[in-house]
Amino acid sequence: MWSVVGVECLKLRAQFKARLVLGVCLVGPFAFAVAMQLQSSMPSDTLFGRAVKESGFALSLVVLGFAALWAFPLLTSVVAGDLFSGEDRYGTWKMVLTRSCSRAEVFAGKTAAAVGFSCLASLLLAASSVAAGLMIIGGGPLIDLSGVLLPSDQALYRVSLAWASILPPVLAVTAMSVLLSVVSRSSVVGVGIPVVLALLMQLAALLDGPEPLRRLLITSGFVAWHGLLAQPPFYGSLVHSATVSAVCFGGCLAIAYWQLRQRDIGG
Amino acid sequence: MSDAPALEVAGVSKRFGIRDALRDVDLVVPPGRVHGLLGPNGAGKTTLMRILLGLVSRDAGSVQLLGQPLERAGQSIPHRVAGSVEMPSFYPYLSGRRNLEILARLDGIWSARPLARGRIEDALAQVGLEAAADARVATYSAGMRQRLGLAAALLRSPRLLLLDEPTSALDPAGARRVRALARRLADNGVAVVVSSHDMAEVEELCRTVTILDHGAVIFSDTVDELRARAPAGVHELHTSDDSAAIAMGLRQPGLRVRPAHGGGLEVVANPDALDAYVIALGRAGVAVRALGSRTASLESLFLDLTGRAVA
Repeated sequence: MWSVVGVECLKLRAQFKARLVLGVCLVGPFAFAVAMQLQSSMPSDTLFGRAVKESGFALSLVVLGFAALWAFPLLTSVVAGDLFSGEDRYGTWKMVLTRSCSRAEVFAGKTAAAVGFSCLASLLLAASSVAAGLMIIGGGPLIDLSGVLLPSDQALYRVSLAWASILPPVLAVTAMSVLLSVVSRSSVVGVGIPVVLALLMQLAALLDGPEPLRRLLITSGFVAWHGLLAQPPFYGSLVHSATVSAVCFGGCLAIAYWQLRQRDIGG
Repeated sequence: MSDAPALEVAGVSKRFGIRDALRDVDLVVPPGRVHGLLGPNGAGKTTLMRILLGLVSRDAGSVQLLGQPLERAGQSIPHRVAGSVEMPSFYPYLSGRRNLEILARLDGIWSARPLARGRIEDALAQVGLEAAADARVATYSAGMRQRLGLAAALLRSPRLLLLDEPTSALDPAGARRVRALARRLADNGVAVVVSSHDMAEVEELCRTVTILDHGAVIFSDTVDELRARAPAGVHELHTSDDSAAIAMGLRQPGLRVRPAHGGGLEVVANPDALDAYVIALGRAGVAVRALGSRTASLESLFLDLTGRAVA
Protein backbone atom coordinates (compact mmCIF):
# COMPACT_ATOMS: atom_id res chain seq x y z
CA MET A 1 0.00 0.00 0.00
CA TRP A 2 2.78 2.44 0.88
CA SER A 3 4.30 2.15 -2.56
CA VAL A 4 0.95 3.33 -3.98
CA VAL A 5 0.91 6.21 -1.49
CA GLY A 6 4.43 7.16 -2.63
CA VAL A 7 3.33 7.06 -6.27
CA GLU A 8 0.30 9.25 -5.57
CA CYS A 9 2.45 11.77 -3.68
CA LEU A 10 4.86 11.86 -6.60
CA LYS A 11 2.00 12.45 -9.04
CA LEU A 12 0.40 15.12 -6.84
CA ARG A 13 3.70 16.99 -6.58
CA ALA A 14 3.73 17.19 -10.37
CA GLN A 15 0.14 18.45 -10.63
CA PHE A 16 -0.60 22.16 -10.75
CA LYS A 17 -4.02 21.84 -9.09
CA ALA A 18 -2.55 20.21 -5.97
CA ARG A 19 0.08 22.93 -5.65
CA LEU A 20 -2.60 25.57 -6.24
CA VAL A 21 -4.83 24.20 -3.46
CA LEU A 22 -1.96 24.08 -0.97
CA GLY A 23 -0.81 27.53 -2.10
CA VAL A 24 -4.28 29.00 -1.52
CA CYS A 25 -4.43 27.37 1.93
CA LEU A 26 -1.06 28.88 2.77
CA VAL A 27 -1.43 32.38 1.33
CA GLY A 28 -5.22 32.91 1.52
CA PRO A 29 -5.41 33.66 5.28
CA PHE A 30 -2.52 36.14 5.06
CA ALA A 31 -4.22 37.94 2.17
CA PHE A 32 -7.47 38.02 4.18
CA ALA A 33 -5.67 39.37 7.26
CA VAL A 34 -3.96 42.11 5.26
CA ALA A 35 -7.29 43.03 3.63
CA MET A 36 -8.93 43.27 7.08
CA GLN A 37 -6.15 45.54 8.29
CA LEU A 38 -6.44 47.82 5.28
CA GLN A 39 -10.22 48.27 5.19
CA SER A 40 -12.32 50.07 7.77
CA SER A 41 -15.36 47.77 7.71
CA MET A 42 -15.45 44.32 9.28
CA PRO A 43 -17.34 41.12 8.41
CA SER A 44 -19.67 41.81 11.33
CA ASP A 45 -22.42 39.47 10.10
CA THR A 46 -20.20 36.43 10.63
CA LEU A 47 -19.30 34.76 13.89
CA PHE A 48 -16.30 36.51 15.47
CA GLY A 49 -16.32 39.01 12.58
CA ARG A 50 -16.66 41.96 14.94
CA ALA A 51 -13.50 40.95 16.78
CA VAL A 52 -11.42 40.34 13.72
CA LYS A 53 -9.27 43.44 14.26
CA GLU A 54 -8.84 42.85 17.98
CA SER A 55 -7.68 39.26 18.15
CA GLY A 56 -5.77 37.14 15.68
CA PHE A 57 -7.68 34.13 17.01
CA ALA A 58 -10.94 35.70 15.85
CA LEU A 59 -9.47 36.05 12.38
CA SER A 60 -8.64 32.34 12.37
CA LEU A 61 -12.22 31.51 13.37
CA VAL A 62 -13.65 33.77 10.66
CA VAL A 63 -11.50 31.89 8.13
CA LEU A 64 -12.75 28.64 9.62
CA GLY A 65 -16.38 29.77 9.34
CA PHE A 66 -15.92 30.83 5.71
CA ALA A 67 -14.04 27.64 4.77
CA ALA A 68 -16.68 25.51 6.50
CA LEU A 69 -19.38 27.07 4.37
CA TRP A 70 -17.67 27.15 1.01
CA ALA A 71 -14.08 25.99 0.82
CA PHE A 72 -13.65 22.61 2.48
CA PRO A 73 -15.78 20.61 0.01
CA LEU A 74 -13.84 22.08 -2.89
CA LEU A 75 -10.38 21.84 -1.26
CA THR A 76 -10.87 18.17 -0.51
CA SER A 77 -12.74 16.99 -3.58
CA VAL A 78 -10.42 18.64 -6.08
CA VAL A 79 -7.85 15.91 -5.39
CA ALA A 80 -9.97 13.09 -3.95
CA GLY A 81 -12.48 13.33 -6.78
CA ASP A 82 -9.81 12.88 -9.39
CA LEU A 83 -7.49 10.23 -7.92
CA PHE A 84 -9.42 7.28 -9.34
CA SER A 85 -11.18 8.84 -12.33
CA GLY A 86 -7.84 10.33 -13.43
CA GLU A 87 -6.74 6.77 -14.25
CA ASP A 88 -9.81 6.43 -16.49
CA ARG A 89 -9.11 9.77 -18.14
CA TYR A 90 -5.53 8.84 -18.96
CA GLY A 91 -6.33 5.17 -19.63
CA THR A 92 -3.69 4.13 -17.08
CA TRP A 93 -5.65 1.54 -15.09
CA LYS A 94 -4.28 -1.21 -17.33
CA MET A 95 -0.77 -0.03 -16.47
CA VAL A 96 -1.31 0.39 -12.73
CA LEU A 97 -3.23 -2.86 -12.24
CA THR A 98 -0.77 -5.09 -14.10
CA ARG A 99 2.06 -4.51 -11.62
CA SER A 100 2.82 -6.16 -8.29
CA CYS A 101 -0.01 -4.47 -6.37
CA SER A 102 -3.46 -5.92 -5.86
CA ARG A 103 -6.55 -3.79 -6.37
CA ALA A 104 -7.00 -3.74 -2.60
CA GLU A 105 -3.54 -2.23 -2.20
CA VAL A 106 -4.14 0.27 -4.99
CA PHE A 107 -7.46 1.29 -3.44
CA ALA A 108 -5.98 1.59 0.04
CA GLY A 109 -2.99 3.58 -1.21
CA LYS A 110 -5.03 5.99 -3.28
CA THR A 111 -7.56 6.48 -0.48
CA ALA A 112 -4.77 7.10 2.01
CA ALA A 113 -3.31 9.69 -0.34
CA ALA A 114 -6.69 11.41 -0.70
CA VAL A 115 -7.23 11.42 3.06
CA GLY A 116 -3.68 12.64 3.62
CA PHE A 117 -4.08 15.47 1.15
CA SER A 118 -7.41 16.56 2.67
CA CYS A 119 -5.89 16.57 6.16
CA LEU A 120 -2.79 18.41 4.93
CA ALA A 121 -4.86 21.12 3.20
CA SER A 122 -7.06 21.55 6.30
CA LEU A 123 -4.13 21.67 8.69
CA LEU A 124 -2.24 24.05 6.43
CA LEU A 125 -5.25 26.36 6.31
CA ALA A 126 -5.56 26.14 10.10
CA ALA A 127 -1.88 26.83 10.77
CA SER A 128 -1.76 29.59 8.19
CA SER A 129 -4.88 31.32 9.56
CA VAL A 130 -3.56 31.22 13.13
CA ALA A 131 -0.13 32.44 12.00
CA ALA A 132 -1.66 35.20 9.87
CA GLY A 133 -3.87 36.28 12.77
CA LEU A 134 -1.03 36.35 15.27
CA MET A 135 1.46 38.03 12.92
CA ILE A 136 -0.82 40.64 11.37
CA ILE A 137 -3.59 41.23 13.94
CA GLY A 138 -1.84 40.13 17.13
CA GLY A 139 -2.40 37.60 19.90
CA GLY A 140 -4.96 39.53 21.95
CA PRO A 141 -7.54 37.69 24.09
CA LEU A 142 -10.67 36.36 22.45
CA ILE A 143 -14.25 36.97 23.54
CA ASP A 144 -16.09 33.67 23.09
CA LEU A 145 -19.75 33.15 22.08
CA SER A 146 -20.89 33.45 25.71
CA GLY A 147 -19.08 36.79 26.10
CA VAL A 148 -16.30 35.37 28.26
CA LEU A 149 -12.81 36.74 27.67
CA LEU A 150 -10.41 33.91 26.89
CA PRO A 151 -6.72 34.58 27.56
CA SER A 152 -4.37 33.90 24.65
CA ASP A 153 -3.32 30.40 25.71
CA GLN A 154 -6.95 29.34 26.27
CA ALA A 155 -7.98 30.94 22.99
CA LEU A 156 -5.23 29.11 21.08
CA TYR A 157 -6.33 25.83 22.64
CA ARG A 158 -10.01 26.36 21.74
CA VAL A 159 -9.21 27.55 18.23
CA SER A 160 -7.00 24.49 17.66
CA LEU A 161 -9.82 22.21 18.86
CA ALA A 162 -12.27 24.01 16.59
CA TRP A 163 -10.04 23.39 13.55
CA ALA A 164 -9.50 19.76 14.57
CA SER A 165 -13.28 19.27 14.84
CA ILE A 166 -13.82 19.81 11.12
CA LEU A 167 -11.60 16.86 10.19
CA PRO A 168 -14.43 14.25 10.43
CA PRO A 169 -16.73 16.03 7.94
CA VAL A 170 -13.72 16.81 5.74
CA LEU A 171 -12.92 13.10 5.64
CA ALA A 172 -16.57 12.29 4.94
CA VAL A 173 -16.56 14.64 1.94
CA THR A 174 -13.26 13.08 0.84
CA ALA A 175 -14.80 9.60 0.96
CA MET A 176 -17.85 10.84 -0.95
CA SER A 177 -15.53 12.23 -3.64
CA VAL A 178 -13.65 8.94 -3.81
CA LEU A 179 -16.91 7.04 -4.24
CA LEU A 180 -18.17 9.33 -6.99
CA SER A 181 -14.78 9.22 -8.69
CA VAL A 182 -14.78 5.40 -8.71
CA VAL A 183 -18.40 4.94 -9.71
CA SER A 184 -18.67 7.68 -12.35
CA ARG A 185 -15.11 7.32 -13.72
CA SER A 186 -15.43 11.07 -14.34
CA SER A 187 -13.34 13.75 -12.67
CA VAL A 188 -16.04 16.34 -13.33
CA VAL A 189 -18.49 14.26 -11.30
CA GLY A 190 -15.90 13.32 -8.66
CA VAL A 191 -14.94 16.94 -8.02
CA GLY A 192 -18.12 18.80 -8.87
CA ILE A 193 -20.90 16.73 -7.32
CA PRO A 194 -19.52 16.71 -3.73
CA VAL A 195 -19.26 20.50 -3.89
CA VAL A 196 -22.82 20.80 -5.17
CA LEU A 197 -24.08 18.29 -2.59
CA ALA A 198 -22.30 20.16 0.20
CA LEU A 199 -23.88 23.43 -0.91
CA LEU A 200 -27.32 21.81 -1.06
CA MET A 201 -26.80 20.43 2.44
CA GLN A 202 -25.81 23.90 3.66
CA LEU A 203 -29.01 25.29 2.13
CA ALA A 204 -31.08 22.47 3.61
CA ALA A 205 -29.62 23.24 7.03
CA LEU A 206 -30.89 26.81 6.72
CA LEU A 207 -34.45 25.63 6.14
CA ASP A 208 -36.81 24.73 8.94
CA GLY A 209 -36.63 21.02 8.35
CA PRO A 210 -36.99 18.24 10.92
CA GLU A 211 -34.11 18.34 13.39
CA PRO A 212 -33.19 14.62 13.06
CA LEU A 213 -32.85 15.12 9.30
CA ARG A 214 -30.67 18.18 9.73
CA ARG A 215 -28.47 16.24 12.09
CA LEU A 216 -27.86 13.66 9.37
CA LEU A 217 -26.30 16.27 7.11
CA ILE A 218 -22.53 15.92 6.87
CA THR A 219 -22.16 19.67 6.65
CA SER A 220 -23.62 20.05 10.14
CA GLY A 221 -20.18 18.90 11.27
CA PHE A 222 -18.62 22.00 9.74
CA VAL A 223 -20.37 24.22 12.29
CA ALA A 224 -20.27 21.84 15.26
CA TRP A 225 -17.21 23.70 16.57
CA HIS A 226 -19.47 26.52 17.82
CA GLY A 227 -20.04 24.53 20.98
CA LEU A 228 -16.34 24.66 21.78
CA LEU A 229 -16.45 28.45 21.98
CA ALA A 230 -19.30 28.60 24.49
CA GLN A 231 -19.29 28.58 28.29
CA PRO A 232 -19.66 25.88 29.35
CA PRO A 233 -18.54 24.14 26.15
CA PHE A 234 -21.00 21.58 24.75
CA TYR A 235 -19.90 18.59 22.75
CA GLY A 236 -23.12 16.86 21.76
CA SER A 237 -23.21 18.22 18.22
CA LEU A 238 -19.52 17.35 17.80
CA VAL A 239 -20.09 13.75 18.81
CA HIS A 240 -23.14 13.53 16.59
CA SER A 241 -21.39 15.00 13.55
CA ALA A 242 -18.36 12.75 14.09
CA THR A 243 -20.68 9.73 14.13
CA VAL A 244 -22.50 10.78 10.96
CA SER A 245 -19.16 11.51 9.27
CA ALA A 246 -17.71 8.15 10.32
CA VAL A 247 -20.73 6.28 8.92
CA CYS A 248 -20.53 8.25 5.67
CA PHE A 249 -16.76 7.71 5.47
CA GLY A 250 -16.96 3.96 6.03
CA GLY A 251 -20.01 3.46 3.83
CA CYS A 252 -18.67 5.43 0.87
CA LEU A 253 -15.28 3.71 0.98
CA ALA A 254 -16.82 0.25 1.31
CA ILE A 255 -19.02 0.80 -1.75
CA ALA A 256 -16.16 2.36 -3.69
CA TYR A 257 -13.87 -0.59 -2.95
CA TRP A 258 -16.54 -3.09 -3.90
CA GLN A 259 -17.10 -1.24 -7.18
CA LEU A 260 -13.41 -1.15 -8.04
CA ARG A 261 -12.92 -4.78 -7.14
CA GLN A 262 -15.83 -5.93 -9.29
CA ARG A 263 -14.90 -3.85 -12.27
CA ASP A 264 -13.59 -5.25 -15.53
CA ILE A 265 -10.94 -2.91 -16.85
CA GLY A 266 -11.72 -2.28 -20.49
CA GLY A 267 -10.14 -0.09 -23.14
CA MET B 1 15.18 -24.57 -18.15
CA SER B 2 12.04 -25.95 -16.52
CA ASP B 3 9.63 -27.93 -18.71
CA ALA B 4 6.60 -26.66 -16.78
CA PRO B 5 4.45 -24.41 -18.94
CA ALA B 6 4.96 -20.70 -18.46
CA LEU B 7 1.31 -20.16 -19.29
CA GLU B 8 -1.48 -22.64 -18.85
CA VAL B 9 -5.06 -21.69 -19.65
CA ALA B 10 -7.78 -24.32 -19.28
CA GLY B 11 -11.45 -23.96 -20.15
CA VAL B 12 -11.58 -20.19 -19.84
CA SER B 13 -14.93 -18.64 -20.70
CA LYS B 14 -16.16 -15.09 -20.50
CA ARG B 15 -19.53 -13.62 -21.29
CA PHE B 16 -20.38 -9.94 -21.76
CA GLY B 17 -24.15 -9.65 -21.48
CA ILE B 18 -25.60 -12.07 -24.02
CA ARG B 19 -22.37 -12.35 -26.03
CA ASP B 20 -19.81 -15.08 -25.46
CA ALA B 21 -16.45 -13.33 -25.62
CA LEU B 22 -14.51 -16.53 -24.89
CA ARG B 23 -15.71 -20.12 -24.96
CA ASP B 24 -13.76 -22.86 -23.26
CA VAL B 25 -10.34 -21.57 -24.33
CA ASP B 26 -7.28 -23.73 -23.68
CA LEU B 27 -3.75 -22.50 -24.22
CA VAL B 28 -0.37 -23.81 -23.14
CA VAL B 29 2.88 -21.97 -23.79
CA PRO B 30 6.19 -23.43 -22.64
CA PRO B 31 9.22 -21.33 -21.67
CA GLY B 32 11.40 -20.08 -24.52
CA ARG B 33 8.57 -19.97 -27.04
CA VAL B 34 7.06 -17.09 -29.02
CA HIS B 35 3.40 -17.97 -29.42
CA GLY B 36 1.09 -16.08 -31.75
CA LEU B 37 -2.51 -15.27 -30.97
CA LEU B 38 -4.58 -14.58 -34.04
CA GLY B 39 -8.19 -13.87 -34.76
CA PRO B 40 -10.58 -11.57 -36.56
CA ASN B 41 -12.02 -8.49 -34.88
CA GLY B 42 -14.07 -9.51 -31.86
CA ALA B 43 -12.57 -13.00 -31.77
CA GLY B 44 -11.60 -12.56 -28.10
CA LYS B 45 -7.84 -12.02 -28.33
CA THR B 46 -7.76 -8.84 -26.26
CA THR B 47 -10.29 -10.20 -23.77
CA LEU B 48 -8.04 -13.22 -23.26
CA MET B 49 -5.02 -10.94 -22.77
CA ARG B 50 -6.98 -8.88 -20.24
CA ILE B 51 -7.95 -12.00 -18.33
CA LEU B 52 -4.34 -13.21 -18.29
CA LEU B 53 -3.21 -9.85 -16.89
CA GLY B 54 -5.91 -9.81 -14.20
CA LEU B 55 -7.82 -6.87 -15.66
CA VAL B 56 -10.98 -8.77 -16.48
CA SER B 57 -12.64 -11.54 -14.49
CA ARG B 58 -13.40 -14.86 -16.13
CA ASP B 59 -16.64 -16.76 -15.73
CA ALA B 60 -15.07 -20.20 -15.85
CA GLY B 61 -11.76 -21.98 -16.25
CA SER B 62 -8.33 -21.66 -14.73
CA VAL B 63 -5.20 -19.68 -15.46
CA GLN B 64 -1.69 -20.48 -14.30
CA LEU B 65 1.05 -17.92 -14.81
CA LEU B 66 4.55 -19.30 -14.23
CA GLY B 67 2.98 -22.12 -12.24
CA GLN B 68 1.02 -19.78 -9.97
CA PRO B 69 -2.76 -19.77 -10.19
CA LEU B 70 -4.48 -16.50 -11.03
CA GLU B 71 -7.49 -16.94 -8.78
CA ARG B 72 -9.42 -13.82 -9.77
CA ALA B 73 -9.12 -10.47 -11.45
CA GLY B 74 -7.73 -7.82 -9.14
CA GLN B 75 -5.11 -9.85 -7.35
CA SER B 76 -1.54 -8.82 -8.08
CA ILE B 77 -0.08 -10.74 -11.00
CA PRO B 78 2.97 -12.84 -10.18
CA HIS B 79 6.43 -11.32 -10.27
CA ARG B 80 8.15 -11.75 -13.64
CA VAL B 81 4.87 -11.80 -15.54
CA ALA B 82 4.49 -8.67 -17.62
CA GLY B 83 2.53 -7.39 -20.53
CA SER B 84 0.52 -4.68 -22.13
CA VAL B 85 -2.95 -4.52 -23.64
CA GLU B 86 -3.71 -2.43 -26.71
CA MET B 87 -1.97 0.95 -26.90
CA PRO B 88 -0.07 1.55 -23.63
CA SER B 89 -1.11 4.66 -21.70
CA PHE B 90 0.99 6.73 -19.31
CA TYR B 91 0.70 9.89 -17.24
CA PRO B 92 1.17 12.56 -19.91
CA TYR B 93 2.38 15.25 -17.51
CA LEU B 94 5.36 13.12 -16.41
CA SER B 95 8.44 12.14 -18.38
CA GLY B 96 8.92 8.64 -19.75
CA ARG B 97 11.61 7.98 -17.16
CA ARG B 98 9.40 9.26 -14.31
CA ASN B 99 6.56 7.00 -15.51
CA LEU B 100 8.90 4.02 -15.34
CA GLU B 101 9.98 5.11 -11.85
CA ILE B 102 6.33 5.01 -10.82
CA LEU B 103 5.99 1.48 -12.18
CA ALA B 104 9.19 0.44 -10.41
CA ARG B 105 7.63 1.69 -7.17
CA LEU B 106 4.45 -0.30 -7.83
CA ASP B 107 6.59 -3.35 -8.56
CA GLY B 108 8.29 -2.92 -5.20
CA ILE B 109 11.78 -2.65 -6.65
CA TRP B 110 12.23 1.08 -5.99
CA SER B 111 13.51 0.42 -2.46
CA ALA B 112 16.70 -0.87 -4.10
CA ARG B 113 17.16 2.32 -6.09
CA PRO B 114 20.46 1.62 -7.85
CA LEU B 115 19.03 -1.69 -9.08
CA ALA B 116 15.75 -0.06 -10.13
CA ARG B 117 17.50 2.81 -11.90
CA GLY B 118 19.73 0.30 -13.68
CA ARG B 119 16.69 -1.65 -14.85
CA ILE B 120 14.99 1.52 -16.06
CA GLU B 121 18.04 2.59 -18.07
CA ASP B 122 18.42 -0.92 -19.47
CA ALA B 123 14.73 -1.08 -20.47
CA LEU B 124 14.91 2.35 -22.11
CA ALA B 125 18.02 1.28 -24.03
CA GLN B 126 16.41 -1.95 -25.22
CA VAL B 127 13.54 -0.06 -26.82
CA GLY B 128 15.68 2.83 -28.05
CA LEU B 129 14.10 5.56 -25.93
CA GLU B 130 17.14 6.83 -24.00
CA ALA B 131 17.24 10.16 -25.80
CA ALA B 132 13.55 10.94 -25.19
CA ALA B 133 13.36 9.54 -21.66
CA ASP B 134 13.22 12.94 -19.98
CA ALA B 135 10.60 14.42 -22.30
CA ARG B 136 7.00 14.51 -21.09
CA VAL B 137 4.94 11.59 -22.41
CA ALA B 138 2.42 14.13 -23.76
CA THR B 139 5.01 14.92 -26.46
CA TYR B 140 5.51 11.26 -27.46
CA SER B 141 4.27 9.82 -30.72
CA ALA B 142 2.10 6.67 -30.68
CA GLY B 143 5.14 4.61 -31.62
CA MET B 144 7.18 6.06 -28.74
CA ARG B 145 4.37 5.30 -26.31
CA GLN B 146 4.28 1.76 -27.61
CA ARG B 147 8.02 1.42 -27.06
CA LEU B 148 7.66 2.88 -23.57
CA GLY B 149 4.97 0.25 -22.94
CA LEU B 150 7.43 -2.44 -23.88
CA ALA B 151 10.06 -0.86 -21.61
CA ALA B 152 7.47 -0.92 -18.79
CA ALA B 153 7.02 -4.65 -19.34
CA LEU B 154 10.78 -5.30 -19.49
CA LEU B 155 11.17 -3.54 -16.13
CA ARG B 156 9.72 -6.65 -14.50
CA SER B 157 12.46 -8.88 -15.96
CA PRO B 158 9.70 -11.08 -17.32
CA ARG B 159 9.73 -14.86 -17.71
CA LEU B 160 6.29 -14.59 -19.29
CA LEU B 161 5.59 -11.63 -21.56
CA LEU B 162 2.08 -10.97 -22.90
CA LEU B 163 2.01 -8.44 -25.72
CA ASP B 164 -1.16 -7.26 -27.42
CA GLU B 165 -0.35 -5.94 -30.90
CA PRO B 166 3.09 -4.70 -29.83
CA THR B 167 4.09 -3.28 -33.21
CA SER B 168 0.80 -1.78 -34.41
CA ALA B 169 2.05 1.82 -34.10
CA LEU B 170 5.69 1.24 -34.99
CA ASP B 171 7.50 2.04 -38.21
CA PRO B 172 9.12 -0.93 -40.01
CA ALA B 173 12.47 -0.37 -38.29
CA GLY B 174 10.82 -0.16 -34.88
CA ALA B 175 8.76 -3.27 -35.56
CA ARG B 176 11.89 -5.15 -36.63
CA ARG B 177 13.60 -4.10 -33.42
CA VAL B 178 10.69 -5.35 -31.31
CA ARG B 179 10.58 -8.66 -33.16
CA ALA B 180 14.32 -9.10 -32.63
CA LEU B 181 13.85 -8.32 -28.95
CA ALA B 182 11.04 -10.90 -28.64
CA ARG B 183 13.22 -13.53 -30.29
CA ARG B 184 16.15 -12.66 -28.03
CA LEU B 185 13.95 -12.95 -24.95
CA ALA B 186 12.63 -16.31 -26.13
CA ASP B 187 16.18 -17.51 -26.73
CA ASN B 188 16.82 -16.68 -23.08
CA GLY B 189 13.91 -18.82 -21.94
CA VAL B 190 11.15 -16.21 -21.79
CA ALA B 191 7.71 -17.28 -22.99
CA VAL B 192 6.27 -14.57 -25.22
CA VAL B 193 2.62 -14.46 -26.28
CA VAL B 194 2.02 -12.02 -29.12
CA SER B 195 -1.38 -11.02 -30.32
CA SER B 196 -1.01 -9.47 -33.73
CA HIS B 197 -2.97 -8.43 -36.77
CA ASP B 198 0.15 -8.69 -38.92
CA MET B 199 0.17 -12.18 -40.42
CA ALA B 200 3.66 -11.76 -41.83
CA GLU B 201 4.87 -10.82 -38.37
CA VAL B 202 3.36 -13.90 -36.79
CA GLU B 203 4.73 -16.06 -39.58
CA GLU B 204 8.22 -14.63 -39.04
CA LEU B 205 8.19 -14.51 -35.27
CA CYS B 206 6.16 -17.39 -33.90
CA ARG B 207 6.75 -21.11 -33.81
CA THR B 208 3.30 -21.90 -32.51
CA VAL B 209 0.02 -20.16 -33.03
CA THR B 210 -3.52 -20.16 -31.65
CA ILE B 211 -6.38 -18.92 -33.79
CA LEU B 212 -9.52 -17.68 -32.09
CA ASP B 213 -12.83 -17.15 -33.79
CA HIS B 214 -16.05 -16.09 -32.08
CA GLY B 215 -14.33 -16.64 -28.75
CA ALA B 216 -13.35 -20.25 -29.41
CA VAL B 217 -10.03 -21.83 -30.33
CA ILE B 218 -10.26 -23.13 -33.88
CA PHE B 219 -6.60 -23.97 -34.28
CA SER B 220 -3.68 -24.31 -31.89
CA ASP B 221 -0.46 -25.90 -33.04
CA THR B 222 2.79 -25.10 -34.80
CA VAL B 223 2.95 -22.77 -37.77
CA ASP B 224 4.32 -25.70 -39.78
CA GLU B 225 1.24 -27.75 -38.93
CA LEU B 226 -0.94 -24.85 -40.01
CA ARG B 227 0.89 -24.73 -43.32
CA ALA B 228 0.41 -28.47 -43.75
CA ARG B 229 -3.30 -27.80 -43.80
CA ALA B 230 -2.87 -25.58 -46.82
CA PRO B 231 -5.52 -25.95 -49.47
CA ALA B 232 -4.21 -27.49 -52.70
CA GLY B 233 -3.62 -25.32 -55.72
CA VAL B 234 -2.63 -21.92 -54.41
CA HIS B 235 -1.30 -19.74 -57.24
CA GLU B 236 0.25 -16.31 -57.50
CA LEU B 237 -1.09 -14.26 -60.37
CA HIS B 238 -0.03 -10.90 -61.77
CA THR B 239 -2.26 -9.27 -64.35
CA SER B 240 -2.57 -5.98 -66.23
CA ASP B 241 -5.81 -5.21 -64.33
CA ASP B 242 -6.14 -6.87 -60.91
CA SER B 243 -9.50 -5.27 -60.15
CA ALA B 244 -11.05 -6.67 -63.32
CA ALA B 245 -9.42 -10.04 -62.61
CA ILE B 246 -10.94 -10.17 -59.13
CA ALA B 247 -14.36 -9.22 -60.53
CA MET B 248 -14.10 -12.00 -63.09
CA GLY B 249 -12.95 -14.44 -60.44
CA LEU B 250 -16.19 -13.86 -58.54
CA ARG B 251 -18.11 -15.10 -61.61
CA GLN B 252 -15.90 -18.13 -62.29
CA PRO B 253 -17.00 -21.39 -60.62
CA GLY B 254 -14.55 -23.47 -58.58
CA LEU B 255 -11.99 -20.84 -57.68
CA ARG B 256 -11.30 -18.04 -55.25
CA VAL B 257 -9.32 -14.89 -56.05
CA ARG B 258 -8.12 -12.29 -53.58
CA PRO B 259 -5.33 -9.72 -53.30
CA ALA B 260 -2.09 -11.34 -52.14
CA HIS B 261 0.03 -10.05 -49.29
CA GLY B 262 2.82 -8.10 -51.00
CA GLY B 263 1.06 -7.47 -54.33
CA GLY B 264 -0.59 -9.40 -57.11
CA LEU B 265 -3.39 -11.90 -56.62
CA GLU B 266 -3.73 -15.20 -54.86
CA VAL B 267 -5.83 -17.75 -56.73
CA VAL B 268 -7.04 -20.94 -55.09
CA ALA B 269 -8.26 -23.33 -57.79
CA ASN B 270 -7.88 -26.79 -59.24
CA PRO B 271 -6.12 -26.99 -62.64
CA ASP B 272 -9.32 -27.09 -64.74
CA ALA B 273 -10.85 -24.10 -63.05
CA LEU B 274 -7.55 -22.22 -63.31
CA ASP B 275 -7.30 -22.96 -67.07
CA ALA B 276 -10.81 -21.69 -67.64
CA TYR B 277 -10.09 -18.58 -65.60
CA VAL B 278 -6.89 -17.72 -67.50
CA ILE B 279 -8.65 -18.17 -70.84
CA ALA B 280 -11.50 -15.97 -69.68
CA LEU B 281 -9.04 -13.28 -68.59
CA GLY B 282 -7.40 -13.31 -72.05
CA ARG B 283 -10.77 -13.04 -73.79
CA ALA B 284 -11.68 -10.09 -71.58
CA GLY B 285 -8.47 -8.27 -72.50
CA VAL B 286 -6.79 -8.74 -69.11
CA ALA B 287 -3.19 -9.77 -69.73
CA VAL B 288 -1.64 -12.45 -67.53
CA ARG B 289 1.88 -11.21 -66.76
CA ALA B 290 2.97 -13.95 -64.37
CA LEU B 291 1.45 -17.13 -62.96
CA GLY B 292 3.05 -19.60 -60.60
CA SER B 293 2.24 -21.93 -57.75
CA ARG B 294 3.12 -20.81 -54.26
CA THR B 295 3.10 -21.92 -50.66
CA ALA B 296 -0.11 -20.90 -48.98
CA SER B 297 0.42 -17.81 -46.82
CA LEU B 298 -0.67 -17.84 -43.23
CA GLU B 299 -3.23 -15.25 -44.19
CA SER B 300 -4.86 -17.46 -46.77
CA LEU B 301 -4.88 -20.34 -44.33
CA PHE B 302 -6.38 -18.07 -41.73
CA LEU B 303 -9.08 -17.02 -44.16
CA ASP B 304 -9.82 -20.63 -44.94
CA LEU B 305 -10.22 -21.38 -41.25
CA THR B 306 -12.30 -18.40 -40.26
CA GLY B 307 -13.79 -17.18 -43.49
CA ARG B 308 -13.08 -13.65 -42.30
CA ALA B 309 -10.36 -11.06 -42.64
CA VAL B 310 -7.74 -11.02 -39.93
CA ALA B 311 -7.58 -8.04 -37.56
